[in-house]
Amino acid sequence: MDFQLTQEQQELRQTVREFAERELLPKAKEVDEKAQIPASTWKKMADTGLMGLPFAEELGGAGADAISAALAVEEIARCCGSTALSYAAHVGLGSAPIAMFGNDQQKQQFLRPAAEGRYLGAFGLTEPHAGSDAGSTRTTAVREGNEWVINGAKMWITNAAEAGHLIVTAITNKDRGKRGISAIIIPQGTPGVHFGSPEHKMGLRGSNTHAITFDNVRVPAENLLGAEGDGFVQFLKVLDGGRISIGAMAIGLGVAAMEAAVSYARERQAFGHAIGSYQSISNMLADMDTELEAARLLILRAAWLKENGKPFTREAAIAKLYASEASERACRNAVQIFGGYGYSSEYPVERYYRDTRLLTIGEGTSEILRMVISRGLLGELA
Amino acid sequence: MHAVVCVKQVPEQNSVKITADKQINSDGINPIINLFDEYAIEEALQWAEKNDGQVTVISLGSDDATDSLKKALAMGANEAVLINDPALEHVDSQSAAKVVAAAIKKLDNVNIVFCGKQSTDDETGQFGPALARFLGWPQLTYVFKVHELSETSIVVDRALEDTLETVEASLPVVVTAVKDLNEPRYPSLLKIRKVSKQPIPTWSLGDLGLGGSDVAGNVQVADRVPPPARPSGEMISGNVQTQVSSLVQKLVENQIL
Ligand SMILES: Cc1cc2nc3c(=O)[nH]c(=O)nc-3n(C[C@H](O)[C@H](O)[C@H](O)COP(=O)(O)OP(=O)(O)OC[C@H]3O[C@@H](n4cnc5c(N)ncnc54)[C@H](O)[C@@H]3O)c2cc1C
Ligand SMILES: Cc1cc2nc3c(=O)[nH]c(=O)nc-3n(C[C@H](O)[C@H](O)[C@H](O)COP(=O)(O)OP(=O)(O)OC[C@H]3O[C@@H](n4cnc5c(N)ncnc54)[C@H](O)[C@@H]3O)c2cc1C
Repeated sequence: MDFQLTQEQQELRQTVREFAERELLPKAKEVDEKAQIPASTWKKMADTGLMGLPFAEELGGAGADAISAALAVEEIARCCGSTALSYAAHVGLGSAPIAMFGNDQQKQQFLRPAAEGRYLGAFGLTEPHAGSDAGSTRTTAVREGNEWVINGAKMWITNAAEAGHLIVTAITNKDRGKRGISAIIIPQGTPGVHFGSPEHKMGLRGSNTHAITFDNVRVPAENLLGAEGDGFVQFLKVLDGGRISIGAMAIGLGVAAMEAAVSYARERQAFGHAIGSYQSISNMLADMDTELEAARLLILRAAWLKENGKPFTREAAIAKLYASEASERACRNAVQIFGGYGYSSEYPVERYYRDTRLLTIGEGTSEILRMVISRGLLGELA
Repeated sequence: MHAVVCVKQVPEQNSVKITADKQINSDGINPIINLFDEYAIEEALQWAEKNDGQVTVISLGSDDATDSLKKALAMGANEAVLINDPALEHVDSQSAAKVVAAAIKKLDNVNIVFCGKQSTDDETGQFGPALARFLGWPQLTYVFKVHELSETSIVVDRALEDTLETVEASLPVVVTAVKDLNEPRYPSLLKIRKVSKQPIPTWSLGDLGLGGSDVAGNVQVADRVPPPARPSGEMISGNVQTQVSSLVQKLVENQIL
């Protein structure tokens, strides 16, 4: 057992923290209000090497380990939730599948520009009728000569309209059920791809989310990711990693809420004393600290398992479930501690509360995660 | 072109405590690269990139200062040297400059030295000029723009109290940087990984041919007291109209309006 971060992990974390505090924090309110992340932010993140943090140096990445990657997402989320979601989707969903399942040609053509931060990546799994039950995908891809012809629709796709490439799941063999789903890479600008206007969301408003329709979209046959029929198994693995990111993001938002609540509880006076001196308030702060710390240990353990090539499906599910719900409680209580001011956009806690709300839904709802975890306990029931 | 940048590690905020024996206690305060030195590093890197040159960063400090040197390496500096010796613990600016000058002479073919105009902890502003004197080189202080830099000469703008001055000098030279000379880059995460385990060479006074008597110092700090605490601000609440009218009233009361 060793609970100490390595020198390298500490230094990476500190650098991302300083970057986020200087570059992301001052813009976070405006990013939420204008529902847009400035292009200059992505440029600066690319310059530091953040956009390809966990990918190999030969592919334009920074070669960091899974623990550092999780800590980076936490630090980004602590300063700007919207940037954290788009970043996590770019790295974990839009790029990681190519690192995991792509061939050399695909890595050069698609992973390298994404890792170098020349563009964002996106991943389209969810459909209007297939969210938690992603195996019930209806989008189809039919092989015609040297091309795949894709038809169908996707829903709720982060970064979709800006993305340099989009990885989509589609049925390539309707007789084989989940084993008939494949993943295919669609480059930006391919004719027949139509994006809906950005969704108006409760939180994480700077991170753009779109519906997509595919109308006879043709891509070269070699854009198939991995083997035909592997799509379902692939995305389960991708989501395992994605859950570590979402959990780390939850911790970052929760920590931001806690820090704001602590400084408010020190300053705000009621009945002649700082409100932090009342146990109803100080106990909330103690619970936030305890739960966020526990969440971080769970996330770091899942990341450690991933880094060391050990199974981590259960651990990632547990960590994401706990972290997202702990974060929601922390943000909810931060609003409470701020009283009426917590309900106003003048203070950031209402934004944290809106932002964190997604995290018990995206990349596996809390209900689905409880199902995954309890199935591990119960096995197949009659 | 070989540029040296002098880097000092300082406490992040000015909330240090003064101990009973008048020393500064910065425990628990994040150590950072002195603000002005970051501009010096960035300027050296930019010109080294243009001129195919190299950059060495030097810090005089305790072992902790390797953090700042590693950060400078991750920004793109080629080499780093730490000068650390028990005799240097409470060294004054003058003696520090003498020691760093000896280190610069020990390095090969240095054409230019960049420093910050002052450090944000001691704020003497003497280090750069003293360094130039010990090296016997010209000094260009308060530089806010470098127009040209070649193997032999440099053209800069200096920001003086009420004058802006354009100066040309021949190399070698010592330049001190003001804020906004450039926009310092962030360290590369890839390079942070690479330098994380890299040992930083450390030179003692003996390595520089100096002894304790060379750094005895001319300046003794006789006393240190914290500045009087600033009274805390007052938040004016209410709607915009009441806020504005009570603000105006307070400004009148305090004879500001
Ligand atoms: C901001 C945002 C960004 C997103 N980004 C992406 C992206 O980049 N790529 C992508 O592919 N998707 C993305 N999604 C989609 C997201 O992953 C889905 O919203 C999520 O998987 C839930 O699916 P759904 O919305 O269809 O809800 P449903 O699956 O319809 O679920 C509705 C409710 O039913 C519950 N439920 C469903 N099945 C069961 C069951 N068997 N037992 C118990 N309860 C059940 C759920 O827990 C939930 O409470 C994004 C969504 C949002 C809001
Ligand atoms: C949308 C909105 C509409 C409103 N409309 C009206 C209105 O029409 N008229 C009106 O008069 N007001 C109105 N209010 C004000 C509202 O009633 C106050 O926000 C509320 O009473 C809380 O006061 P506060 O915001 O000053 O929080 P504070 O009193 O500063 O409380 C901050 C936190 O400290 C806690 N706390 C305070 N004292 C103690 C203690 N002794 N022990 C334990 N915990 C303590 C509180 O529970 C809270 O968690 C409105 C507020 C909002 C947001």
